Amino acid sequence: MARLLDLAISAVLLAGLYATMAYGLGLVYGVLRVVNLAHGGVIMAGAYLGWVLHGRLRLDPYLSIPLVLVATYAFGALLYRGLVRHLPRGAAGGPASLLLLFGVWLVLRNAAYLLFTGDDQAIRTSYSTHAVPFLGTWVSVNRLAVLGIALVIPVALHLLLHRTYLGKAIRAAAQNAESCTLVGVDVERVYTVTFGLGTALAGLAGVLSATLFAFNPASGAGELLKSFVVVVLGGLGSVVGTAVAALILATVEVFAILVLPSYLTAAVGFVMLVIVLVVRPGGLFGQRVLG
Amino acid sequence: MSAPLLELDGIDVFYGDVQVLHGLSFTVREGEIVTLLGSNGAGKTTTLRAISGLRPPRRGDIRLRGESLLHLPAAARSDRGIAVVPEGRELWGQLTVRENLELGAYGRRSRGAARRNLARVLELFPRLAERSRQLAGSLSGGEQQMCAIGRALMSEPRLLMLDEPSLGLAPVVVDQVMEVVAGLHRGGVTILLVEQNLRKALEIADRGLVVETGRVRLEGTAAELAADPRIRAAYLGL
Repeated sequence: MARLLDLAISAVLLAGLYATMAYGLGLVYGVLRVVNLAHGGVIMAGAYLGWVLHGRLRLDPYLSIPLVLVATYAFGALLYRGLVRHLPRGAAGGPASLLLLFGVWLVLRNAAYLLFTGDDQAIRTSYSTHAVPFLGTWVSVNRLAVLGIALVIPVALHLLLHRTYLGKAIRAAAQNAESCTLVGVDVERVYTVTFGLGTALAGLAGVLSATLFAFNPASGAGELLKSFVVVVLGGLGSVVGTAVAALILATVEVFAILVLPSYLTAAVGFVMLVIVLVVRPGGLFGQRVLG
Repeated sequence: MSAPLLELDGIDVFYGDVQVLHGLSFTVREGEIVTLLGSNGAGKTTTLRAISGLRPPRRGDIRLRGESLLHLPAAARSDRGIAVVPEGRELWGQLTVRENLELGAYGRRSRGAARRNLARVLELFPRLAERSRQLAGSLSGGEQQMCAIGRALMSEPRLLMLDEPSLGLAPVVVDQVMEVVAGLHRGGVTILLVEQNLRKALEIADRGLVVETGRVRLEGTAAELAADPRIRAAYLGL
């Protein structure tokens, strides 16, 4: 029973991380029709950024979150302004932006090899192993903190997209950019902010997962693929759909440990992806664009 | 005669290498309702796109109250008082009616008065008030047209441009839309109306311009044009 509860808590925690990653990927695709292959690279970079800030400046990983957010937002905004903006988009422009962003990922990965070698790293704090009683079992403070932040993100994102002029403009630009221009929205600015925001969510996911799991410069590939699975399962644009999809993926992965050999659990998500693509190509909750 | 609000001065507009407008010139005065007539492909929509900044001219000038608009990007023009109801309405179908209207007041100048203007628009279109929480895509064609007009009014425009507002609507609904446009004109809004439904357009317009292959062919008061034998033959089938 305690083991089941442990697994359930792990699933929710993992779901929070998956959802954070997937929001970033889904937001950028939903608004710009660009698949950001550099997403995995930024997740990895966010992990190293938190690690460096902790190791060199003795900055607590949770206090470094604002810095990581600002840095990865700026990186995303510059990436859009400098490169992505000049490429064709949508179905016709797919290969160009895919290749470009894949290249950006390779640059990030190799820069990390150069700077940090290929060794596994993790962010270890004084309280990393400290546990508190929670629903009759013991959970580490660290995991609870990650869970708390992962729960705040969708709420904050929902409020941004639905309660502010900028957020409404982001959703509107996903549907009809020309109408946005006609009512006075600087659409290029909306795209820049969106790309920055999506990238910042990747950075956040990176630093959060770095407090839980080991990472190295090759990290991010699995995270990117899982983000894809969540985006496809959840359908584009629905904050709630993404959260539910992340929970489904994480639960299936975690509980698969009970019935499958461990080397097969990683494949579970992709089997789900294939099934959903065949049975419900619009995602479990239908295809809505940032509605 | 009132002062000119909008002046087009010999504009040439291209799509790639294809020239669509050839030295097009006309003036709309404050408080007027002017209709732009002509067959498909004559360049009416392109004219509106040039004014709104979506398709800037290669030559010529476009002035609003004597000031050239050409240096202004399209997104800055709604703050100057230009609002467009585009052909096919172009609402954000997955946003609610209310959100569509709110975004109409996105510009810096209009945001402060958004609340007041929203109340005004909902009073003008009670149907939209009833449906303000519905997705705009779920509205009927006529309601969508009202929503698109409402969105344009949210910025309190000096110049309201409508592109084929009667397109695809039932005759009864066309009459309602035209009545709304005429009402806005009586309320003091200057209107530039592109319309295929020439008979309806000339009923409410002060003046009309007939555009053919990117040039103004005929210009006159609505009554003159309605009586012109060339128009009666070519467009009214009389």
